[in-house]
Amino acid sequence: MGLYSSIEVSASGLSAERLAMDVIANNLANVNTTRTPEGGSFKRQLVIFAQKQEVDPNASLNPMDSSSNADPGKSRDGVEAVGIVNDPSPDRLVYDPNHPDADANGYVHMPNVDVVKEMVDMISASRAYQANVSAIQEARSMGSAALNILKS
Amino acid sequence: MGDISFGATVNMLKDAGAGAGEAQLAIANNIANVNTPAFKRTDVTFKEALAAELPRYDDSTDLAMVTDDPKQIPGGPNFEAQPFSVTSTLDDTQQMRVDGSNVDVDQEMAKLSINSAYSQTMSTLLSTQYTRIREAIQEKA
Repeated sequence: MGLYSSIEVSASGLSAERLAMDVIANNLANVNTTRTPEGGSFKRQLVIFAQKQEVDPNASLNPMDSSSNADPGKSRDGVEAVGIVNDPSPDRLVYDPNHPDADANGYVHMPNVDVVKEMVDMISASRAYQANVSAIQEARSMGSAALNILKS
Repeated sequence: MGDISFGATVNMLKDAGAGAGEAQLAIANNIANVNTPAFKRTDVTFKEALAAELPRYDDSTDLAMVTDDPKQIPGGPNFEAQPFSVTSTLDDTQQMRVDGSNVDVDQEMAKLSINSAYSQTMSTLLSTQYTRIREAIQEKA
């Protein structure tokens, strides 16, 4: 607790938003990818954010002990990305019989990446990143003001 | 730490600064979770508690210094060290986004800059107060 934990909380936001940016960039880079190691076309990926739960060092190790669960209302440990999942929405079908990856009917399964959607998500991640940077700057100026109390 | 008191003002400003630090933590957490689905923001209130405890910071209660002249200032360290209470409440009153989150980033940014200005004001006041105390100790103005 204290001023530095506030910076740590904002830093967790920064790394989560940066991961979201990485995933969005990957989606955009693979907007036309029809071959993947898993087979089939590239699938759009999404980052799952969750509130980070504080781990009480005194809590019992038994996972069935519900009393050890931190109160979600009191948790102020920031955010964490808990996973990257594939978007289950259907592929974009493009009719191109000459494409080497076209199916029997002449359709190519293109990735389910919508460039406009990715752009909007990117703006959202970028703005959230900036908001976290501002929070760190404010915490810093509060901290340096507190350090200057005994100067003068 | 009220035992060696440099005056009630110092204790009050210290608690105000601590409250602003807690509020900063809550606001930073709200901003960090701005893209978390179903996140509910936390609100920290300490100014009400501070106002309610104003009499506690008052120097002129039971153990004040004895004065025999109206020009003398009745002072005395009778500040009782009690844990200053900061209440954090989970705000689930309204929904801001479709995913169930209720963080309005503009509001949080406004709260952030208000809180920072408040905290820096408290620091400046505390600094001024210490300058006065130092002047009193060093017998110079």
